[in-house]
Amino acid sequence: MSNIAVVATSSVTPADVSRYQFGSRFGRMDPVCQLGLTAVEALGVKFGSRADIGVIVATNAGSLTTDVQYWRTRNEPGGVSPSLFIYTLPSSVTGEIAIRHGLTGPNLCLLGGCDQVLGEAAEWLRHGEATGCVCVECDVVATDAGELAGVPVVARAWAAFLQRGGGGIPLTENDRDLRSLCARVRA
Amino acid sequence: MGGALEIAIAGCGAVSAVGADVAGLREAIRNNTSGLRPVPRFTGAAFQSNIVGATTVEGEDPIYELADRALREARHEAAGRLENIPPARIGLVLATTKANIEALERLTEDRPCAVSARRHWQAQWLAEDLAAAHGAAGPVQCVSVACISGMLAISQGAKLLQRDLADAVLVVGADCLSRFIVAGFSSLKALDPLGCRPFDRDRAGLSAGEAGAAVVLVRGEGATTIAGWGGSNDANHLTGPSRDGSGLALAIQRALDAARLKPRDIGYVNAHGTGTPYNDAMESLALRTIFGNACPPVSASKGMFGHTLGAAGVLETIVCVVAATERCLPGTPRLTTPVMAEVLHVPQTGARVRHSLKLGTGFGGVNAALVVRHE
Repeated sequence: MSNIAVVATSSVTPADVSRYQFGSRFGRMDPVCQLGLTAVEALGVKFGSRADIGVIVATNAGSLTTDVQYWRTRNEPGGVSPSLFIYTLPSSVTGEIAIRHGLTGPNLCLLGGCDQVLGEAAEWLRHGEATGCVCVECDVVATDAGELAGVPVVARAWAAFLQRGGGGIPLTENDRDLRSLCARVRA
Repeated sequence: MGGALEIAIAGCGAVSAVGADVAGLREAIRNNTSGLRPVPRFTGAAFQSNIVGATTVEGEDPIYELADRALREARHEAAGRLENIPPARIGLVLATTKANIEALERLTEDRPCAVSARRHWQAQWLAEDLAAAHGAAGPVQCVSVACISGMLAISQGAKLLQRDLADAVLVVGADCLSRFIVAGFSSLKALDPLGCRPFDRDRAGLSAGEAGAAVVLVRGEGATTIAGWGGSNDANHLTGPSRDGSGLALAIQRALDAARLKPRDIGYVNAHGTGTPYNDAMESLALRTIFGNACPPVSASKGMFGHTLGAAGVLETIVCVVAATERCLPGTPRLTTPVMAEVLHVPQTGARVRHSLKLGTGFGGVNAALVVRHE
């Protein structure tokens, strides 16, 4: 993986969301998209050739919290919320990242594939499917959703921007996931 | 973009509204029949339409049943190619958008919900359980990228073979009908009350469907191979497709480049064809951008079994396989007045197709194109 450079990394929690300026749509997004976008914003990267930049997201919980929130609206006058329904796709965050940064490269969203993101991104770059790749691991599980699904409560996101060649820290075979990559870069 | 040299489809399996196996699908293609019908549980104020593509699968964990049955059929057909491959070299890629979302309905309404049904609300656990049940002890992935999930799962499976991480990959797409999903599309006013009519002048929306569809991918030669794929994002709108079709055209061009083909090499296009006014208009423009006035025959299959979401890409790729092997280009069930002259009303028999193009688009602005080569 020596010719693949880690240009930037980030690690964020909901406390970081207010540090960045987003457009008016941001308030209508679900917490997964808000946190994922914040992680990408925290990279501080100005993307260059946007047509060839892809986005890969991995998530364990997916849209679990939004699923529960959406389904609760079925009892409201007018029925289920269309604005929440569109965020019940776990891949919504890839779309929001692409829209905000104008990235028209390929997309991938892996459920439970947090240890596969860097390998997939490296393959895209190596085989020319993309010249750059925004990688995000993002999980938000609220208390009620966690209890229903039997999974722990969490709200955390990590991101990295990888490029083929160019400046940055080389990606190595030992970089298994975004969490450990972010820790290595920080150290 | 990506190309998968000598990645063969060794077996197919399909459970859909037109039958419990590929034979049922084949019959529906030959006869241009639609499996869409009214289903009482989707009747009421919360639902814009009760016309859906339902299977006969029932129970607390229907998505597992759909995926399991499709995998059994695909593995049976591919048995000769699988018999000497150890389990550790067999991978599995699952495509789904909502896994067993019906578990949420059950849990919030104090209805019975088996442990496995609750577990399969989380798609990655469904993938793990399917892999264990089908002897796939190699790499397991779970892809969820809206309505292109199935097409991406096929390309991910091909990549696992290219990277020598497996010698065979079971690719399965599955999603089941639920009030959660049908009410959601209703809230977006995205359902056609009369049932979906892709590429029809009077189309008014999609019809929800459910399916399990599986293919077995192996390295080497075969009657059908994956020649290339491409993906893109419109970077434009979360739910609305780009108005000019440029994003989908980009994905098609990337797939053609990966397959080292020209537009004239494509003999058949299986469109995404949801039946929504904007999708089909956008898709028509993308086809014109790539093919100009020499567009090959096009059909859309969602009038046959509905929009099966995470299964759609796999199921409709199987339609391409059946079309080539049967020399029968599918028609477009429920179509009356096509908006493009190239859209086939009824099946066209006797045509030999060397390369098919499968298209997909989805919420989040995602686009995908897959080129399938037929020997």
